[in-house]
Amino acid sequence: MAETEQSLIQRAQQGDHDAFAALVDEHQRYVYNLALRVVKDENEALDLTQETFVRAWTALPNFRGQSQFRTWLYRITTNLCYNRLPNLRRSLNDLGDDVMEELPETSSELHNPVRKIESNETRRYLQQAIGALEENYRLLIALRYQHELSYEEIASTLNLPLGTVKTGIFRAKQQLRNLLNRLEESWINT
Amino acid sequence: MDKHLKQDAIIEDALQSEPLAPMPRSITADVMARIQSNRRPALLTWRDFGLGFVILSCFGALWYTWQNLPPILLAKLQIQGILLYQNFLVNSRWLVPALFFGSAAVLAALTIPLLLKMTMDHRR
Repeated sequence: MAETEQSLIQRAQQGDHDAFAALVDEHQRYVYNLALRVVKDENEALDLTQETFVRAWTALPNFRGQSQFRTWLYRITTNLCYNRLPNLRRSLNDLGDDVMEELPETSSELHNPVRKIESNETRRYLQQAIGALEENYRLLIALRYQHELSYEEIASTLNLPLGTVKTGIFRAKQQLRNLLNRLEESWINT
Repeated sequence: MDKHLKQDAIIEDALQSEPLAPMPRSITADVMARIQSNRRPALLTWRDFGLGFVILSCFGALWYTWQNLPPILLAKLQIQGILLYQNFLVNSRWLVPALFFGSAAVLAALTIPLLLKMTMDHRR
């Protein structure tokens, strides 16, 4: 699979339109979802996705494969998002890197089947809350969980220090935890 | 503590189970139409050739002028050049190490941050 993508990239670099069309087909959904998560508007997200691939075509001869092709596309998308939302870049930089504790890559609790049995209502409530987070947190959360990038890959994609990425994700989860506490309190009260 | 872990698990579950939204429509045709009208920028443009031609013309003009100077004027220029060089050797020798270290500092300032960034990117 990876080899096929590699050969498609090589053919597209040499100007093969069909190969590039196949790459667009393969990756457009992921790029669209990232853009949608940040701009929260379908039409604008489609427009950003299209612009990402047009720019990728222009810059493709410079792609040397140091990162994954998809990660490279995300970098283009986030740069376009920075142009659309001028405050996004600043709000990411302002996160700082004050989270000193090491974040686990995956929670071991998640693999516990007992823990997995949670009501659909709570999950839906949290997923709505994720959509209502600030745009910088939405971007970090989307890259980490929807697109399954490691902290290092996110740092490289957004050109941010690793500590800032960890801080942003930690704070986003903290906000979700506060909302969850409020939900649980409302259940107790009723 | 148990409540905290349970909440973490619920949040992780919500984060990881969020589905990708479906594409409202495929954008492949639109992208390909735009690509076919937008050609990739060439590595060398006409501007580069124009600039190269102007620079070469300047060197050519300089060489032609030097070749066609009257011999007396040429000799005077050579004498002035020698005098300037002697003056430099006597009065401004300090300029040699100053220029050397200055150039080294400028080069270091230009390259070290770039090399550091490349090293960091490589480690990532």
